[in-house]
Amino acid sequence: MKGWIEKYLSVVRMTWIQTLEYKANTIVGAFAIFSGLAIEFLIWKQVFQAQGATEIRGFTFNGLIAYIFLCMIVGQLKSSWATSIEMIESIRTGELNKYLIRPVSFFTYHFMMFVGHNSLFYIVYTTILILFPIMLPGFAFMTNLHVGGFIMALLLSIYLSYAIYYCMVCFAFWFGEVRSLVIAYNISNIVLSGQIIPLRLFPDTARDIIYLTPLQYLVDFPVSIATNQLPMELWLPKMAVSFAWCVAMTLAGAVIYRAGIRVYGGFGA
Amino acid sequence: MEDSVRRYISLWWSLFQNSLTRDMEFKANFLGGLFVDVIFYGIQFFFFSVIYSYVDAIGVFTKEDVMIFLIVTFLTDTLYMFFFAGNLFNLNRWMVRGDLDFFLLKPVHSQFLVSFRYIKSYAVVSLVILSILLVSRVVIYSQPVPLLNWAAFIISLGLGWIIWYGVEFIISTSCFWFKNFSVSGWLSHEILKFSTRPDSIYTGLFRKVLLSAIPMILIVSIPTRILLYGPDIKYLGWQLIVALVFLINSRIIWKKGLLRYESASS
Repeated sequence: MKGWIEKYLSVVRMTWIQTLEYKANTIVGAFAIFSGLAIEFLIWKQVFQAQGATEIRGFTFNGLIAYIFLCMIVGQLKSSWATSIEMIESIRTGELNKYLIRPVSFFTYHFMMFVGHNSLFYIVYTTILILFPIMLPGFAFMTNLHVGGFIMALLLSIYLSYAIYYCMVCFAFWFGEVRSLVIAYNISNIVLSGQIIPLRLFPDTARDIIYLTPLQYLVDFPVSIATNQLPMELWLPKMAVSFAWCVAMTLAGAVIYRAGIRVYGGFGA
Repeated sequence: MEDSVRRYISLWWSLFQNSLTRDMEFKANFLGGLFVDVIFYGIQFFFFSVIYSYVDAIGVFTKEDVMIFLIVTFLTDTLYMFFFAGNLFNLNRWMVRGDLDFFLLKPVHSQFLVSFRYIKSYAVVSLVILSILLVSRVVIYSQPVPLLNWAAFIISLGLGWIIWYGVEFIISTSCFWFKNFSVSGWLSHEILKFSTRPDSIYTGLFRKVLLSAIPMILIVSIPTRILLYGPDIKYLGWQLIVALVFLINSRIIWKKGLLRYESASS
Protein backbone atom coordinates (compact mmCIF):
# COMPACT_ATOMS: atom_id res chain seq x y z
CA MET A 1 0.00 0.00 0.00
CA LYS A 2 2.83 2.36 0.94
CA GLY A 3 4.55 1.62 -2.36
CA TRP A 4 1.30 2.26 -4.24
CA ILE A 5 0.85 5.64 -2.58
CA GLU A 6 4.48 6.63 -3.18
CA LYS A 7 4.28 5.60 -6.81
CA TYR A 8 1.24 7.74 -7.58
CA LEU A 9 2.34 10.63 -5.39
CA SER A 10 5.45 10.82 -7.53
CA VAL A 11 3.16 11.20 -10.57
CA VAL A 12 1.42 14.10 -8.84
CA ARG A 13 4.82 15.62 -7.96
CA MET A 14 6.08 15.23 -11.53
CA THR A 15 3.02 16.88 -13.08
CA TRP A 16 3.10 19.56 -10.37
CA ILE A 17 6.62 20.52 -11.52
CA GLN A 18 5.44 20.57 -15.15
CA THR A 19 2.46 22.70 -14.20
CA LEU A 20 4.67 25.28 -12.52
CA GLU A 21 6.21 25.86 -15.95
CA TYR A 22 2.85 27.02 -17.28
CA LYS A 23 1.56 29.57 -14.80
CA ALA A 24 -0.38 31.33 -17.55
CA ASN A 25 -3.00 28.56 -17.30
CA THR A 26 -3.89 29.72 -13.81
CA ILE A 27 -4.08 33.36 -14.82
CA VAL A 28 -6.35 32.54 -17.77
CA GLY A 29 -8.37 30.20 -15.54
CA ALA A 30 -8.96 32.97 -13.01
CA PHE A 31 -9.83 35.35 -15.87
CA ALA A 32 -12.33 32.76 -17.17
CA ILE A 33 -14.08 32.70 -13.80
CA PHE A 34 -14.24 36.46 -13.37
CA SER A 35 -15.25 37.16 -16.99
CA GLY A 36 -17.93 34.46 -16.79
CA LEU A 37 -19.13 35.88 -13.51
CA ALA A 38 -19.25 39.41 -14.97
CA ILE A 39 -21.52 38.20 -17.79
CA GLU A 40 -23.81 36.32 -15.41
CA PHE A 41 -23.89 39.33 -13.08
CA LEU A 42 -25.00 41.63 -15.93
CA ILE A 43 -27.62 39.23 -17.28
CA TRP A 44 -29.19 38.52 -13.89
CA LYS A 45 -29.06 42.23 -12.97
CA GLN A 46 -31.21 42.90 -16.04
CA VAL A 47 -33.57 40.05 -15.10
CA PHE A 48 -34.03 41.28 -11.52
CA GLN A 49 -34.45 44.89 -12.67
CA ALA A 50 -36.94 44.00 -15.42
CA GLN A 51 -39.01 41.91 -13.00
CA GLY A 52 -38.66 44.38 -10.15
CA ALA A 53 -38.15 41.29 -8.00
CA THR A 54 -36.04 40.99 -4.86
CA GLU A 55 -36.09 37.20 -4.98
CA ILE A 56 -36.35 34.53 -7.69
CA ARG A 57 -37.05 30.98 -6.53
CA GLY A 58 -35.47 31.71 -3.16
CA PHE A 59 -32.42 33.49 -4.56
CA THR A 60 -31.75 37.13 -3.78
CA PHE A 61 -29.58 38.87 -6.38
CA ASN A 62 -26.43 38.81 -4.21
CA GLY A 63 -27.17 35.25 -3.11
CA LEU A 64 -27.50 34.16 -6.72
CA ILE A 65 -24.23 35.81 -7.76
CA ALA A 66 -22.40 34.25 -4.80
CA TYR A 67 -23.88 30.89 -5.79
CA ILE A 68 -22.83 31.24 -9.45
CA PHE A 69 -19.35 32.39 -8.40
CA LEU A 70 -18.85 29.23 -6.36
CA CYS A 71 -20.36 27.11 -9.15
CA MET A 72 -17.81 28.45 -11.61
CA ILE A 73 -14.92 27.63 -9.30
CA VAL A 74 -16.20 24.11 -8.62
CA GLY A 75 -16.96 23.65 -12.33
CA GLN A 76 -13.39 24.43 -13.27
CA LEU A 77 -11.84 22.34 -10.49
CA LYS A 78 -13.68 19.20 -11.51
CA SER A 79 -13.26 19.53 -15.26
CA SER A 80 -10.80 16.97 -16.57
CA TRP A 81 -11.56 17.25 -20.28
CA ALA A 82 -7.98 18.21 -21.17
CA THR A 83 -6.64 15.06 -19.46
CA SER A 84 -9.35 13.06 -21.22
CA ILE A 85 -8.26 14.33 -24.64
CA GLU A 86 -4.68 13.24 -23.80
CA MET A 87 -5.95 9.79 -22.79
CA ILE A 88 -7.91 9.43 -26.03
CA GLU A 89 -4.79 10.37 -27.99
CA SER A 90 -2.75 7.74 -26.17
CA ILE A 91 -5.29 5.07 -27.16
CA ARG A 92 -5.48 6.32 -30.75
CA THR A 93 -1.73 6.53 -31.23
CA GLY A 94 -0.79 3.34 -29.43
CA GLU A 95 0.96 5.22 -26.64
CA LEU A 96 -1.15 3.23 -24.20
CA ASN A 97 1.39 0.41 -24.63
CA LYS A 98 3.72 2.09 -22.15
CA TYR A 99 1.08 1.74 -19.43
CA LEU A 100 0.46 -1.88 -20.29
CA ILE A 101 4.07 -2.93 -19.87
CA ARG A 102 4.54 -1.06 -16.59
CA PRO A 103 2.98 -1.66 -13.21
CA VAL A 104 0.75 1.40 -13.40
CA SER A 105 -2.97 1.73 -13.84
CA PHE A 106 -4.11 3.82 -16.81
CA PHE A 107 -7.01 5.13 -14.69
CA THR A 108 -5.05 6.03 -11.55
CA TYR A 109 -2.00 7.36 -13.38
CA HIS A 110 -4.07 9.87 -15.32
CA PHE A 111 -6.17 10.73 -12.30
CA MET A 112 -2.99 11.67 -10.46
CA MET A 113 -1.81 13.61 -13.50
CA PHE A 114 -5.13 15.46 -13.51
CA VAL A 115 -4.71 16.29 -9.81
CA GLY A 116 -1.14 17.43 -10.44
CA HIS A 117 -2.10 19.61 -13.41
CA ASN A 118 -4.91 21.20 -11.43
CA SER A 119 -2.76 21.82 -8.36
CA LEU A 120 -2.09 25.45 -9.23
CA PHE A 121 -5.84 25.98 -9.62
CA TYR A 122 -6.39 24.40 -6.20
CA ILE A 123 -4.04 26.89 -4.58
CA VAL A 124 -5.47 29.95 -6.33
CA TYR A 125 -9.11 28.95 -5.83
CA THR A 126 -8.58 27.93 -2.22
CA THR A 127 -7.28 31.45 -1.63
CA ILE A 128 -10.39 32.87 -3.33
CA LEU A 129 -12.61 30.56 -1.26
CA ILE A 130 -10.89 31.65 1.96
CA LEU A 131 -11.50 35.29 0.97
CA PHE A 132 -15.07 34.52 -0.08
CA PRO A 133 -16.75 34.97 3.35
CA ILE A 134 -14.92 38.32 3.64
CA MET A 135 -15.93 39.53 0.14
CA LEU A 136 -19.53 38.30 0.30
CA PRO A 137 -20.28 37.78 4.01
CA GLY A 138 -23.28 35.69 4.98
CA PHE A 139 -23.70 33.93 1.62
CA ALA A 140 -21.43 30.92 2.07
CA PHE A 141 -19.42 28.93 4.61
CA MET A 142 -21.47 30.04 7.60
CA THR A 143 -19.92 27.42 9.90
CA ASN A 144 -16.94 25.06 9.89
CA LEU A 145 -19.41 22.26 9.25
CA HIS A 146 -20.31 23.90 5.95
CA VAL A 147 -16.62 24.12 5.05
CA GLY A 148 -16.13 20.42 5.88
CA GLY A 149 -19.30 19.36 4.02
CA PHE A 150 -18.26 21.41 0.99
CA ILE A 151 -14.78 19.86 0.89
CA MET A 152 -16.22 16.33 1.13
CA ALA A 153 -18.77 17.00 -1.62
CA LEU A 154 -16.11 18.69 -3.76
CA LEU A 155 -13.76 15.69 -3.50
CA LEU A 156 -16.60 13.38 -4.51
CA SER A 157 -17.46 15.72 -7.37
CA ILE A 158 -13.88 15.79 -8.69
CA TYR A 159 -13.62 12.00 -8.57
CA LEU A 160 -17.08 11.44 -10.07
CA SER A 161 -16.39 13.86 -12.89
CA TYR A 162 -13.12 12.11 -13.72
CA ALA A 163 -14.81 8.69 -13.62
CA ILE A 164 -17.51 9.87 -16.06
CA TYR A 165 -14.90 11.24 -18.45
CA TYR A 166 -12.95 7.97 -18.13
CA CYS A 167 -15.96 5.94 -19.29
CA MET A 168 -16.20 8.13 -22.40
CA VAL A 169 -12.43 7.93 -23.00
CA CYS A 170 -12.56 4.12 -23.04
CA PHE A 171 -14.90 4.17 -26.04
CA ALA A 172 -11.81 5.24 -28.02
CA PHE A 173 -10.92 1.53 -28.16
CA TRP A 174 -13.78 1.02 -30.61
CA PHE A 175 -14.29 4.44 -32.16
CA GLY A 176 -11.25 6.46 -33.17
CA GLU A 177 -13.01 9.77 -32.75
CA VAL A 178 -14.48 10.18 -29.27
CA ARG A 179 -13.01 13.64 -28.66
CA SER A 180 -16.26 15.04 -30.04
CA LEU A 181 -18.17 13.07 -27.42
CA VAL A 182 -15.97 14.46 -24.63
CA ILE A 183 -16.20 18.03 -25.95
CA ALA A 184 -19.98 17.76 -26.45
CA TYR A 185 -20.35 16.42 -22.90
CA ASN A 186 -18.12 19.20 -21.59
CA ILE A 187 -20.17 21.91 -23.34
CA SER A 188 -23.51 20.54 -22.16
CA ASN A 189 -22.16 19.84 -18.69
CA ILE A 190 -21.42 23.56 -18.16
CA VAL A 191 -25.12 24.36 -18.32
CA LEU A 192 -26.74 21.08 -17.24
CA SER A 193 -24.71 20.63 -14.06
CA GLY A 194 -25.81 24.08 -12.93
CA GLN A 195 -22.47 25.79 -13.47
CA ILE A 196 -23.91 29.02 -14.90
CA ILE A 197 -27.57 28.76 -13.91
CA PRO A 198 -28.56 27.09 -10.63
CA LEU A 199 -30.54 23.88 -11.20
CA ARG A 200 -33.34 25.30 -9.03
CA LEU A 201 -34.04 27.89 -11.74
CA PHE A 202 -34.44 25.25 -14.46
CA PRO A 203 -37.91 24.26 -15.74
CA ASP A 204 -39.34 21.49 -13.54
CA THR A 205 -39.21 18.77 -16.22
CA ALA A 206 -35.58 19.48 -17.12
CA ARG A 207 -34.61 19.55 -13.45
CA ASP A 208 -36.40 16.26 -12.72
CA ILE A 209 -34.51 14.58 -15.55
CA ILE A 210 -31.15 15.98 -14.36
CA TYR A 211 -31.88 14.74 -10.82
CA LEU A 212 -31.98 11.19 -12.22
CA THR A 213 -28.38 11.56 -13.43
CA PRO A 214 -25.08 12.13 -11.57
CA LEU A 215 -24.89 15.69 -12.98
CA GLN A 216 -26.39 17.31 -9.87
CA TYR A 217 -23.51 15.97 -7.75
CA LEU A 218 -20.87 17.66 -9.89
CA VAL A 219 -21.53 21.31 -9.10
CA ASP A 220 -24.93 21.93 -7.57
CA PHE A 221 -24.46 19.62 -4.59
CA PRO A 222 -21.15 21.00 -3.21
CA VAL A 223 -22.26 24.59 -3.80
CA SER A 224 -25.68 24.01 -2.20
CA ILE A 225 -23.88 22.79 0.94
CA ALA A 226 -21.51 25.78 0.98
CA THR A 227 -24.32 28.30 0.53
CA ASN A 228 -26.64 26.60 3.03
CA GLN A 229 -29.25 25.95 0.33
CA LEU A 230 -29.44 22.28 1.29
CA PRO A 231 -30.83 21.25 4.70
CA MET A 232 -28.18 19.52 6.82
CA GLU A 233 -30.25 16.36 7.25
CA LEU A 234 -29.96 15.79 3.49
CA TRP A 235 -26.16 16.05 3.39
CA LEU A 236 -25.37 12.47 4.35
CA PRO A 237 -28.03 10.76 2.21
CA LYS A 238 -26.94 12.86 -0.78
CA MET A 239 -23.28 12.11 -0.12
CA ALA A 240 -24.15 8.41 -0.02
CA VAL A 241 -25.85 8.70 -3.43
CA SER A 242 -22.90 10.68 -4.79
CA PHE A 243 -20.53 8.00 -3.47
CA ALA A 244 -22.69 5.30 -5.05
CA TRP A 245 -22.43 7.13 -8.40
CA CYS A 246 -18.65 7.21 -7.96
CA VAL A 247 -18.57 3.45 -7.40
CA ALA A 248 -20.96 2.80 -10.31
CA MET A 249 -18.94 4.97 -12.70
CA THR A 250 -15.64 3.43 -11.58
CA LEU A 251 -17.02 -0.06 -12.17
CA ALA A 252 -18.51 0.94 -15.52
CA GLY A 253 -15.15 2.42 -16.53
CA ALA A 254 -13.31 -0.76 -15.50
CA VAL A 255 -15.75 -2.95 -17.45
CA ILE A 256 -15.48 -0.81 -20.59
CA TYR A 257 -11.68 -0.67 -20.27
CA ARG A 258 -11.39 -4.46 -19.93
CA ALA A 259 -13.59 -5.03 -22.95
CA GLY A 260 -11.74 -2.33 -24.87
CA ILE A 261 -8.25 -3.60 -24.12
CA ARG A 262 -9.20 -6.88 -25.82
CA VAL A 263 -9.82 -5.11 -29.12
CA TYR A 264 -6.88 -2.71 -28.73
CA GLY A 265 -4.38 -3.17 -31.56
CA GLY A 266 -1.45 -1.46 -29.84
CA PHE A 267 -0.46 0.53 -32.90
CA GLY A 268 -0.88 4.15 -33.94
CA ALA A 269 -4.06 5.13 -35.72
CA MET B 1 -3.04 44.05 -57.73
CA GLU B 2 -5.91 42.36 -59.55
CA ASP B 3 -3.66 39.46 -60.51
CA SER B 4 -2.48 39.14 -56.95
CA VAL B 5 -6.05 38.98 -55.62
CA ARG B 6 -6.98 36.41 -58.26
CA ARG B 7 -3.89 34.36 -57.37
CA TYR B 8 -4.75 34.34 -53.67
CA ILE B 9 -8.38 33.42 -54.31
CA SER B 10 -7.21 30.57 -56.49
CA LEU B 11 -4.71 29.54 -53.81
CA TRP B 12 -7.41 29.58 -51.15
CA TRP B 13 -9.59 27.38 -53.35
CA SER B 14 -6.76 24.87 -53.69
CA LEU B 15 -6.25 24.91 -49.91
CA PHE B 16 -9.98 24.31 -49.46
CA GLN B 17 -9.95 21.33 -51.81
CA ASN B 18 -6.93 19.92 -50.02
CA SER B 19 -8.58 20.38 -46.60
CA LEU B 20 -11.80 18.79 -47.85
CA THR B 21 -9.88 15.75 -49.08
CA ARG B 22 -8.11 15.47 -45.70
CA ASP B 23 -11.36 15.87 -43.77
CA MET B 24 -13.12 13.23 -45.83
CA GLU B 25 -10.34 10.79 -44.94
CA PHE B 26 -11.48 11.09 -41.34
CA LYS B 27 -15.25 10.95 -41.65
CA ALA B 28 -15.70 10.41 -37.92
CA ASN B 29 -14.05 13.81 -37.27
CA PHE B 30 -16.40 15.29 -39.84
CA LEU B 31 -19.48 13.86 -38.12
CA GLY B 32 -18.01 14.58 -34.68
CA GLY B 33 -17.62 18.25 -35.54
CA LEU B 34 -21.27 18.44 -36.58
CA PHE B 35 -22.33 16.62 -33.42
CA VAL B 36 -20.45 19.12 -31.22
CA ASP B 37 -22.06 22.01 -33.12
CA VAL B 38 -25.55 20.62 -32.58
CA ILE B 39 -24.92 20.18 -28.84
CA PHE B 40 -23.45 23.68 -28.58
CA TYR B 41 -26.46 25.25 -30.32
CA GLY B 42 -28.94 23.26 -28.24
CA ILE B 43 -27.27 24.23 -24.97
CA GLN B 44 -27.22 27.93 -25.88
CA PHE B 45 -30.92 27.84 -26.79
CA PHE B 46 -31.64 26.07 -23.51
CA PHE B 47 -29.64 28.66 -21.53
CA PHE B 48 -31.59 31.55 -22.99
CA SER B 49 -34.94 29.80 -22.68
CA VAL B 50 -34.26 29.46 -18.93
CA ILE B 51 -33.32 33.16 -18.69
CA TYR B 52 -36.41 34.20 -20.68
CA SER B 53 -38.69 32.13 -18.50
CA TYR B 54 -38.07 34.85 -15.88
CA VAL B 55 -38.08 37.96 -18.10
CA ASP B 56 -39.83 39.21 -21.26
CA ALA B 57 -36.94 41.24 -22.63
CA ILE B 58 -33.30 42.00 -21.88
CA GLY B 59 -33.02 45.65 -22.92
CA VAL B 60 -34.48 45.79 -26.43
CA PHE B 61 -33.95 42.10 -27.06
CA THR B 62 -37.14 40.08 -26.65
CA LYS B 63 -37.06 36.28 -26.68
CA GLU B 64 -37.86 36.34 -30.40
CA ASP B 65 -34.94 38.74 -31.02
CA VAL B 66 -32.54 36.70 -28.93
CA MET B 67 -33.32 33.53 -30.88
CA ILE B 68 -32.23 35.38 -34.04
CA PHE B 69 -29.25 36.82 -32.13
CA LEU B 70 -28.22 33.27 -31.24
CA ILE B 71 -28.44 32.07 -34.85
CA VAL B 72 -26.26 35.04 -35.88
CA THR B 73 -23.82 34.09 -33.09
CA PHE B 74 -23.64 30.51 -34.40
CA LEU B 75 -23.28 31.75 -37.97
CA THR B 76 -20.37 34.03 -37.02
CA ASP B 77 -18.79 31.26 -34.98
CA THR B 78 -19.15 28.78 -37.84
CA LEU B 79 -17.70 31.27 -40.34
CA TYR B 80 -14.75 31.73 -38.03
CA MET B 81 -14.37 27.98 -37.56
CA PHE B 82 -14.55 27.41 -41.31
CA PHE B 83 -11.79 29.84 -42.22
CA PHE B 84 -9.49 30.29 -39.26
CA ALA B 85 -10.00 27.84 -36.38
CA GLY B 86 -7.81 25.15 -37.94
CA ASN B 87 -4.95 27.62 -38.20
CA LEU B 88 -4.77 30.27 -35.50
CA PHE B 89 -5.42 27.71 -32.76
CA ASN B 90 -2.27 25.84 -33.88
CA LEU B 91 0.01 28.83 -34.31
CA ASN B 92 1.62 28.37 -30.88
CA ARG B 93 2.39 24.71 -31.63
CA TRP B 94 3.83 25.53 -35.04
CA MET B 95 6.06 28.15 -33.46
CA VAL B 96 7.29 25.94 -30.61
CA ARG B 97 8.03 22.96 -32.87
CA GLY B 98 9.50 25.06 -35.64
CA ASP B 99 6.81 23.97 -38.12
CA LEU B 100 6.30 27.64 -38.89
CA ASP B 101 9.42 27.37 -41.08
CA PHE B 102 7.35 25.52 -43.68
CA PHE B 103 4.93 28.45 -43.87
CA LEU B 104 7.65 31.06 -44.09
CA LEU B 105 9.54 29.27 -46.85
CA LYS B 106 6.58 29.23 -49.26
CA PRO B 107 6.49 31.96 -51.93
CA VAL B 108 3.25 33.43 -50.57
CA HIS B 109 2.29 35.97 -47.98
CA SER B 110 3.10 34.26 -44.63
CA GLN B 111 0.17 35.82 -42.74
CA PHE B 112 -2.19 34.61 -45.46
CA LEU B 113 -0.87 31.07 -45.23
CA VAL B 114 -0.89 30.78 -41.42
CA SER B 115 -4.44 32.18 -41.41
CA PHE B 116 -5.96 30.11 -44.21
CA ARG B 117 -3.87 26.93 -44.59
CA TYR B 118 -6.35 24.49 -43.04
CA ILE B 119 -10.06 24.98 -43.66
CA LYS B 120 -12.59 23.17 -41.49
CA SER B 121 -14.67 21.94 -44.37
CA TYR B 122 -17.34 20.29 -42.19
CA ALA B 123 -18.46 23.81 -41.23
CA VAL B 124 -20.01 24.17 -44.71
CA VAL B 125 -22.87 21.91 -43.61
CA SER B 126 -23.48 24.02 -40.49
CA LEU B 127 -23.26 27.21 -42.55
CA VAL B 128 -26.00 26.01 -44.90
CA ILE B 129 -28.26 24.82 -42.06
CA LEU B 130 -27.77 28.04 -40.06
CA SER B 131 -28.41 30.24 -43.09
CA ILE B 132 -31.69 28.44 -43.77
CA LEU B 133 -32.59 28.69 -40.08
CA LEU B 134 -31.83 32.42 -40.02
CA VAL B 135 -33.91 33.16 -43.12
CA SER B 136 -36.83 31.10 -41.80
CA ARG B 137 -36.76 32.84 -38.38
CA VAL B 138 -36.56 36.29 -39.96
CA VAL B 139 -39.45 35.48 -42.34
CA ILE B 140 -41.74 34.68 -39.39
CA TYR B 141 -40.40 37.60 -37.32
CA SER B 142 -43.17 39.80 -35.90
CA GLN B 143 -41.95 42.84 -37.88
CA PRO B 144 -41.20 42.88 -41.62
CA VAL B 145 -37.47 42.86 -42.36
CA PRO B 146 -36.73 44.77 -45.60
CA LEU B 147 -34.05 43.73 -48.08
CA LEU B 148 -32.00 46.79 -47.18
CA ASN B 149 -31.60 45.35 -43.67
CA TRP B 150 -30.31 42.11 -45.17
CA ALA B 151 -27.80 43.91 -47.36
CA ALA B 152 -26.50 45.99 -44.44
CA PHE B 153 -26.51 42.89 -42.23
CA ILE B 154 -24.26 40.97 -44.62
CA ILE B 155 -21.74 43.84 -44.66
CA SER B 156 -21.92 44.18 -40.87
CA LEU B 157 -21.51 40.42 -40.39
CA GLY B 158 -18.44 40.48 -42.65
CA LEU B 159 -16.93 43.36 -40.69
CA GLY B 160 -17.64 41.57 -37.41
CA TRP B 161 -15.92 38.49 -38.80
CA ILE B 162 -12.82 40.56 -39.70
CA ILE B 163 -12.77 42.07 -36.19
CA TRP B 164 -12.95 38.58 -34.68
CA TYR B 165 -10.06 37.48 -36.89
CA GLY B 166 -8.04 40.55 -35.82
CA VAL B 167 -8.60 39.93 -32.11
CA GLU B 168 -7.86 36.22 -32.34
CA PHE B 169 -4.82 36.71 -34.54
CA ILE B 170 -3.30 39.29 -32.18
CA ILE B 171 -3.84 36.99 -29.18
CA SER B 172 -2.40 34.00 -31.05
CA THR B 173 0.70 35.87 -32.20
CA SER B 174 1.51 36.79 -28.60
CA CYS B 175 3.20 33.36 -28.53
CA PHE B 176 6.23 35.06 -30.11
CA TRP B 177 6.70 37.07 -26.93
CA PHE B 178 5.62 34.46 -24.37
CA LYS B 179 7.63 31.69 -26.08
CA ASN B 180 5.00 29.07 -25.28
CA PHE B 181 1.52 30.50 -24.94
CA SER B 182 -0.51 27.32 -25.18
CA VAL B 183 -3.53 28.88 -23.47
CA SER B 184 -4.04 31.58 -26.12
CA GLY B 185 -7.01 29.65 -27.54
CA TRP B 186 -8.60 29.46 -24.11
CA LEU B 187 -7.96 33.17 -23.49
CA SER B 188 -9.54 34.26 -26.77
CA HIS B 189 -12.49 31.94 -26.12
CA GLU B 190 -13.05 33.65 -22.77
CA ILE B 191 -12.80 37.13 -24.31
CA LEU B 192 -15.09 36.19 -27.18
CA LYS B 193 -17.68 35.00 -24.67
CA PHE B 194 -18.65 38.66 -24.28
CA SER B 195 -19.80 38.69 -27.90
CA THR B 196 -22.20 35.80 -27.33
CA ARG B 197 -24.55 37.79 -25.08
CA PRO B 198 -26.87 40.60 -26.26
CA ASP B 199 -25.15 43.99 -25.98
CA SER B 200 -28.03 45.49 -24.00
CA ILE B 201 -26.61 43.90 -20.83
CA TYR B 202 -23.46 46.02 -21.12
CA THR B 203 -23.69 49.58 -19.85
CA GLY B 204 -21.44 52.53 -18.96
CA LEU B 205 -17.67 52.32 -19.28
CA PHE B 206 -17.75 48.56 -19.78
CA ARG B 207 -19.93 49.03 -22.87
CA LYS B 208 -17.49 51.62 -24.24
CA VAL B 209 -14.60 49.20 -23.77
CA LEU B 210 -16.53 46.44 -25.55
CA LEU B 211 -17.23 48.82 -28.42
CA SER B 212 -13.61 49.91 -28.85
CA ALA B 213 -10.54 48.33 -27.18
CA ILE B 214 -12.10 44.85 -26.92
CA PRO B 215 -14.77 45.24 -29.62
CA MET B 216 -16.90 42.22 -28.77
CA ILE B 217 -20.22 44.04 -29.21
CA LEU B 218 -19.36 44.71 -32.86
CA ILE B 219 -19.07 41.02 -33.72
CA VAL B 220 -22.64 39.72 -33.28
CA SER B 221 -24.86 42.26 -31.51
CA ILE B 222 -24.45 45.04 -34.05
CA PRO B 223 -25.12 42.82 -37.10
CA THR B 224 -28.24 41.49 -35.32
CA ARG B 225 -29.41 45.01 -34.47
CA ILE B 226 -28.90 46.06 -38.09
CA LEU B 227 -30.86 43.05 -39.35
CA LEU B 228 -33.79 43.47 -36.98
CA TYR B 229 -34.01 47.19 -36.32
CA GLY B 230 -32.59 48.59 -39.58
CA PRO B 231 -29.23 49.85 -40.86
CA ASP B 232 -27.38 52.37 -38.74
CA ILE B 233 -24.63 54.21 -40.59
CA LYS B 234 -22.87 55.13 -37.32
CA TYR B 235 -22.56 51.50 -36.28
CA LEU B 236 -21.46 50.39 -39.75
CA GLY B 237 -18.89 53.20 -39.99
CA TRP B 238 -17.53 52.37 -36.54
CA GLN B 239 -17.32 48.68 -37.40
CA LEU B 240 -15.35 49.55 -40.53
CA ILE B 241 -12.88 51.71 -38.59
CA VAL B 242 -12.37 49.11 -35.86
CA ALA B 243 -12.01 46.30 -38.43
CA LEU B 244 -9.31 48.28 -40.26
CA VAL B 245 -7.49 49.13 -37.02
CA PHE B 246 -7.41 45.48 -35.93
CA LEU B 247 -6.42 44.25 -39.37
CA ILE B 248 -3.54 46.73 -39.62
CA ASN B 249 -2.45 45.93 -36.07
CA SER B 250 -2.49 42.21 -36.81
CA ARG B 251 -0.15 42.90 -39.73
CA ILE B 252 2.23 45.00 -37.63
CA ILE B 253 2.27 42.49 -34.76
CA TRP B 254 2.85 39.59 -37.13
CA LYS B 255 5.86 41.32 -38.69
CA LYS B 256 7.30 42.21 -35.27
CA GLY B 257 6.63 38.69 -34.00
CA LEU B 258 8.46 37.12 -36.93
CA LEU B 259 11.55 39.12 -36.03
CA ARG B 260 11.56 37.29 -32.69
CA TYR B 261 11.05 33.85 -34.22
CA GLU B 262 14.06 31.57 -33.81
CA SER B 263 12.76 28.50 -35.62
CA ALA B 264 12.45 25.16 -33.75
CA SER B 265 12.37 25.29 -29.94
CA SER B 266 12.25 29.08 -29.99
